[in-house]
Amino acid sequence: MERSSRRPSVVGHLALGRAGYREVLELQRRLHARRRVGKIDDLVLTVEHDPVFTIGRTGSREHLLVDPERLDREGIDILDIERGGDITYHGPGQLVVYPILDLRARGLGVKDFVDRLEETAIRVLADCNIDAARRPGYPGVWVAETRADDARETRKIASIGVYVKGWVTMHGLALNVAVNAEHFAMINPCGLPVTAVSVAELVNPVPSLDVVRGRFLVRLGEVFGWELREIAREDVE
Amino acid sequence: MHGSTRETVNGDRGTIRLPDLGEVESVRVVGWLMSIGDAVAEGDDLLEVETEKTTFVVPAPTGGRLARIDVAEGATVDRGGTLGAIEPTA
Repeated sequence: MERSSRRPSVVGHLALGRAGYREVLELQRRLHARRRVGKIDDLVLTVEHDPVFTIGRTGSREHLLVDPERLDREGIDILDIERGGDITYHGPGQLVVYPILDLRARGLGVKDFVDRLEETAIRVLADCNIDAARRPGYPGVWVAETRADDARETRKIASIGVYVKGWVTMHGLALNVAVNAEHFAMINPCGLPVTAVSVAELVNPVPSLDVVRGRFLVRLGEVFGWELREIAREDVE
Repeated sequence: MHGSTRETVNGDRGTIRLPDLGEVESVRVVGWLMSIGDAVAEGDDLLEVETEKTTFVVPAPTGGRLARIDVAEGATVDRGGTLGAIEPTA
């Protein structure tokens, strides 16, 4: 990329902490609209969501494996959204990253953008002593392990789901740090017979979500050639 | 109703092609956000396509009226493929 030789550009990071999915979805849509008309610059949101299942444009409730009544009982929300992909889970113990980025202004293609999000997660996982990789044809980040019975198993540790309108991105990547595995078992993610894995199942001691977020921001800056700077909600709303 | 003719509308300027998304070979059509006959301005959101777990909204390459839809929901479109056409409004 010819742009990577330029000096790092400053990109704002808005840390939302723990927040409900719907509230952050509305915030993303507002920020996306403001970015699209040039009222704000590119920025990155990080958040830890309350439990929720979201279904992407090509997804289906058929891949939800439990009764909706059970979701009600457990206080898990479910909604259809605009991002690409099928059903996925967000919840406590998961780092969610939403770049709101004008791809064209940065000379980035869709594939390049997704590749760089994956690359960031792979480097963060290496920082956590986890060997993770891409799986051709299956966007996301995966961990291959040899089970006790010698069978090979590939589990998903980070998911991708992006929306690009007016060449501006929203939605993004979710990295499982210490996620409730029972919640994940309620879906057939991406409509594939895929199981999810968290950092917490692979290393000990388990890094906190704050530590992983810090590493993610460092690697994100490195991979995209940005200098990330903390911003407040008032700066962009 | 979509028995569209393939002759050029408004020259190549009016042809709606899949934009260059980087190293993307093909996409799947999620659905059109506009109907034939709708007035469109350059940059308006025309249709959604999906690739690489990404929904991409194809912008109108020019203004006018949506004259032709070549690809239906679920169709696969290769890099640079034609999606439809926009004709100028008088």
